Amino acid sequence: MTRGRIATIAVVVLLAFEPVLSPFIHVDVTIASAALLFAIAAMSANLLLGYTGLPPFGNAAFFGLGAYGAALSLKYWHVEFATAAVLGTALAVLGALVLGPFLLRRRGIYFGLLSIAFGQVFYFIAYRFTDVTGGEDGMNFSRPFLLVPSLRLRETAFYYLALVVFVAAILAFEAIVRSPFGKTLIAIKQNELRVRYLGLDSNRFVFVAIVISAAFAGLSGALTGMLNNSVGPLMLDWHQSGDFVLSTILGGSGTIWGPLVGSIIFVVGRDIISSYTQEGWQIILGALFVACVIFFPRGILGTALQLFAAKRHG
Amino acid sequence: MLEHGAVAPQLFNGLVLGAFYAIVAIGLSLIMNLTGTINMAHGSFMTLAGYLAYAMVSRGTSFWFALLVAPIIALIVAVVIERTLIRRLYGRDPVYSLLLTFGLSLIAEGIYHKVFTANSVPFSPPPALAGTVALGFMNFPAYRLFIVFVLVVVFVLLALFLNYTRFGLRLRAAVQDTEMITALGTNTQVLYAINFGLGILLAGIAGVLASGLLGLNPTSGNTLLMPAFVTVIICGMGSLYGSLVGGLLIGVAQSLMTLFIPPASEVVMYVLMAVVLTIRPRGLFGEEGVFG
Repeated sequence: MTRGRIATIAVVVLLAFEPVLSPFIHVDVTIASAALLFAIAAMSANLLLGYTGLPPFGNAAFFGLGAYGAALSLKYWHVEFATAAVLGTALAVLGALVLGPFLLRRRGIYFGLLSIAFGQVFYFIAYRFTDVTGGEDGMNFSRPFLLVPSLRLRETAFYYLALVVFVAAILAFEAIVRSPFGKTLIAIKQNELRVRYLGLDSNRFVFVAIVISAAFAGLSGALTGMLNNSVGPLMLDWHQSGDFVLSTILGGSGTIWGPLVGSIIFVVGRDIISSYTQEGWQIILGALFVACVIFFPRGILGTALQLFAAKRHG
Repeated sequence: MLEHGAVAPQLFNGLVLGAFYAIVAIGLSLIMNLTGTINMAHGSFMTLAGYLAYAMVSRGTSFWFALLVAPIIALIVAVVIERTLIRRLYGRDPVYSLLLTFGLSLIAEGIYHKVFTANSVPFSPPPALAGTVALGFMNFPAYRLFIVFVLVVVFVLLALFLNYTRFGLRLRAAVQDTEMITALGTNTQVLYAINFGLGILLAGIAGVLASGLLGLNPTSGNTLLMPAFVTVIICGMGSLYGSLVGGLLIGVAQSLMTLFIPPASEVVMYVLMAVVLTIRPRGLFGEEGVFG
């Protein structure tokens, strides 16, 4: 067993004890679930930012599509939990299939602009089409049962479900970035022109990366909606995309576990500080962005890994 | 049934709105062209100028003085921020400066919330601009005409500045080849600072004017930011006149859509953007190779 595998198992075991430790570390199980789901969305940003070199400022659109997809399928079809999650994810993927060809048109900062602008379309749709989406108020619903009516998801059960989904997601993410496909994405990040000269259609790879990213974000959104028993248009807003990118960079973009580290700090920090002061949280969050970008551009995990590597070599 | 007389005023409203988009977009693309910084705090600087003007006017200063001074204070704040923070990120991946300015906008919004609360503050144009003006074929609010007048003056001054002054020449040269102009002895750091300040000055003027028309609250500047982004994308980088045409186009499209299909008024600019990107990826007036 490699060192990485052991570390992975250790982290998962630690996470599994959260509900037991909850009274001692004062992190509510619901907040812990939210952090894990947030990390899945941050991973989706990481795939584009850290591995493909594209600034993803529209991933909230996919996150929100997942949430609204789940909520709408609960409202109109009264489906159970897993079906709602799958339908939500499917809607996000559909969104990526539609937006992808436009997003592909540009790279670098222009991609950032395009993703912000196109992402906002869904915000306005959710905001304006009040009859279907509930407009500014969003939609409230009660949490559906999982598969069979007797399986009700209370908060602790939901946490373990979130943990299982998270572990599956991070294993899938690891497999993707280590596959030849993932290596090609990294090559595109480093030098797209060279990738093209090698005869690879880089647009096709970027397109698939966007769709995979949307699937992660959509899954996260669908589950987050059902965790809170509500969805709202702010889930689609570009500020939400910014939060995903920040968590990714805070933890370490281009690392597999970075988004989890960033997400835990972000979600738990938000919960603690915003219980005292709402504007205070916004100011601290802004300062966090500034400090992180100027002092920790590699993020916490990225910096730690670099120090570790430097020590080993020398 | 649509009233025939409703179209002309709405068209004119669209032009006013479009002039705002254009001025904001020009400021954004000045900054983006030279340093590759997507300034997410642009809207916050507009709001800053708006609040400064509000604070001055509510303490008895005249509107005209506030319109002149508030944008200049915003400019000074902007240059200080550029020199202390944003400057450090030039040459790094643009995602970092985007995140930094995003963070700055969050801080600014938080502060506005604390100082002025989340509610809109009353900021109305001076009595001299209150009524309407008869244009022959319709009556039009005087304040909107004044806005158009100011923005046209600003645009002309900017064009003269960029095309006929030594500094404007250096600025345009630096966009094309920063290394070369450094080698020729221009201090590019000074260029960066003044260029950033210039972009914010435009935003500040738009911010004060918009506050009297569209209202003033902690996030009011950001409502103009997204259309300005779309303007930049539709028009492409590096064209002053392109931004003007694009801004007006979006403003008019939005206003007319409000008349015909109200819920689609926000979405129409994104549709325009998608169409332009499909036909001409570099934007309507974009030069090939400038920011790919």
